Amino acid sequence: RVAITAGRKAGLPQKFKKLLVPGKIQHILCTGNLCLRETYDYLKNIASDVHVVRGDFDMNTNYPDQKVVTVGQFKIGLMHGHQVVPWGNHDAIAMIRRQLDVDVMISGNTHKLEAYEKDNKFYINPGSVTGAYSPLERESNPSFILMDIQATTLVTYVYSLVNEEMEVKKIEFKKQSALEE
Amino acid sequence: MDCIIQVFPDEFHLKTLDTFLETCCQPQGTVNVRNIIISKINRLSKYAQENSKNIPEDIKLFEIFSAKITQIIQTRSSMPPEDILALQSALIKLALNVYPDEISYVDNVLLNTLEIFTNERSRSVGCSGELSRMLRVPIDHYGDIITILALPNFAPLIEFLDFRTRKELCVYVIENIIKTNTFIDSHEQVDMLLKMLASLISDQSDQPTEPEDPEDFEIEQSLVGRLVHQLISPVPDQHFLILNMCKKHLLSGGDKRIQYTLPSLVFRAIELCRTYHELRADDEKWEKKVSKILQYINSLLSALCKAEYWELSHRLLLQATLVCDAMGITSAESVAYEFISQAFAIYEEEVSDSKSQLIAISLIIATFERTLNFGEENHEPLRSQCARASSKLLKKPDQCRGVSLCSHLFWSGKTRENDGEELRAGKRVLECMKKAVKISSQCMDPSVQVQLYVELLNKYIFFLDNGCVDVTPSMITQLVKKIQEDSAGLESSEATHQVTSHFKNTLNYLSSAHQNINLEVQ
Repeated sequence: RVAITAGRKAGLPQKFKKLLVPGKIQHILCTGNLCLRETYDYLKNIASDVHVVRGDFDMNTNYPDQKVVTVGQFKIGLMHGHQVVPWGNHDAIAMIRRQLDVDVMISGNTHKLEAYEKDNKFYINPGSVTGAYSPLERESNPSFILMDIQATTLVTYVYSLVNEEMEVKKIEFKKQSALEE
Repeated sequence: MDCIIQVFPDEFHLKTLDTFLETCCQPQGTVNVRNIIISKINRLSKYAQENSKNIPEDIKLFEIFSAKITQIIQTRSSMPPEDILALQSALIKLALNVYPDEISYVDNVLLNTLEIFTNERSRSVGCSGELSRMLRVPIDHYGDIITILALPNFAPLIEFLDFRTRKELCVYVIENIIKTNTFIDSHEQVDMLLKMLASLISDQSDQPTEPEDPEDFEIEQSLVGRLVHQLISPVPDQHFLILNMCKKHLLSGGDKRIQYTLPSLVFRAIELCRTYHELRADDEKWEKKVSKILQYINSLLSALCKAEYWELSHRLLLQATLVCDAMGITSAESVAYEFISQAFAIYEEEVSDSKSQLIAISLIIATFERTLNFGEENHEPLRSQCARASSKLLKKPDQCRGVSLCSHLFWSGKTRENDGEELRAGKRVLECMKKAVKISSQCMDPSVQVQLYVELLNKYIFFLDNGCVDVTPSMITQLVKKIQEDSAGLESSEATHQVTSHFKNTLNYLSSAHQNINLEVQ
């Protein structure tokens, strides 16, 4: 299981903390702007394999600009997204996907929660786990994403907190075999 | 004495309370009255909590013990502070557990303690540990800081703690606020709270001269930054008062603190602008209020610039530019122009290493691309500045990438005159792209050249996908051909593998999305 988070508020909502229990999640992919070392430590506590990429506010850190993580049969690309012009543009993000040569492309920055399939590849924006405001919009609903990878199937669970109530959406993505591509 | 307390039933204790206290509190000095009294209090406290009817109305436990303890402390002038505070703590617990509605009881104990220490400072020496423990009792019990703020004699007692203990208590208070997700929504309460937290917020006269551990300092100050997000009111006007109050206190923290504490204020101020904008139909003064907030943001950013936090200021200036732009009013447009110009100035004068420069100019371009409301007379010089700055980057690959980013400004950039429509200046887009290609051709390293060509190919396809008619299929095929030719001569390496797969993915996309383009596959 893989959890995805983004990072500008006092802390994670309690309801999320209850779900993010150590031991159940193997990898964490974070789109950056953690801002606090404690947040990183908190993520490390949930899963020992934590990948973070550099956000525009992660200034004194050594996080890379992009990262490719292989989990099972899936190559997953990770990037904050402030580098993608125009921000949040699906075509522009697709360009990065092609460059990183990944099956799943994860980006953040806009705090707009999205999980969609495009040209037989999968794209995710986990929103903001604290519901912090984004450069473009008011505060959003806190959200994060869990991915369950089994062979060539990726099941994505999208968790969001809407008016203090937890909502979950499930989306399935099947990776095409090399022959089909 | 202890036996008496353990053995006899509660009713007995109640009936004989006065006599008992009178007897054991004779000023003979050697008997350890502290433990005896505390035992007695705890016993009767428990009895009272079991059933409120257990204690008759006329036996006012708190008053009785309070009077007795005051007497004992006064007559035993050599009683050490730990004992004084242990007795006072027991009293506080009695008040909290048995008389929870009477917060004046708690404040009463605090006042007594304050008077003892103020009248004879010598009695307070060495009291930090116990006093801190005592002060945490009501914090833990009430679970929220609002009630604590209503105890006038709580904050003055903090002065008697030594520096380190004071700071630890401040950290404890903030952690409590964050943990319980308490919001403090009046500027008067915020003022009281921040005064209480002075030991964290600004330099103290009694702090040690050696500098603090930088990691600890960062954690503590980040806590203050996080606290800012709990100091909010749903009433916008009130929230602005709170923001001003925070600024007053946090600026006193000096340069070393503001990098951790001011950004939260900037973000909250930005959010408040958006709130006023959203509610503008109901508030005819909203534009003036927004102007004031923008001035406020400017003052915070000036403080950060003065303290030479260049990258942080640069990022925040760009965020502030976006909120100004979102207001959609001309007064805000000039502030937006001012903010983005300051970001440019920082980029030109203060960012020195080439990697940071590319990041900084890219961020300016990306932010500027999102704006909607600059008039053409502001938009045009900014477009030119972006293009100029990109072409002056030191390294050719960076120049290429910067210039190609500028193409977006001409395509999806928006001006006020265009009413939310994209500029779609296809010819200017092409100019940027051609220039980028030319810069790539000047790169020395052939593998970097090919990489840049593939990136530019993708951008050409992007504009084609988005309806730019100035991008012709032949431009695409020409570039594809060039890449195929040049990559044939490349040595195999990790980097070239990436470029190869990038190119392959691009061709796959081209052939599926643009079947009209004839690609010669080698």
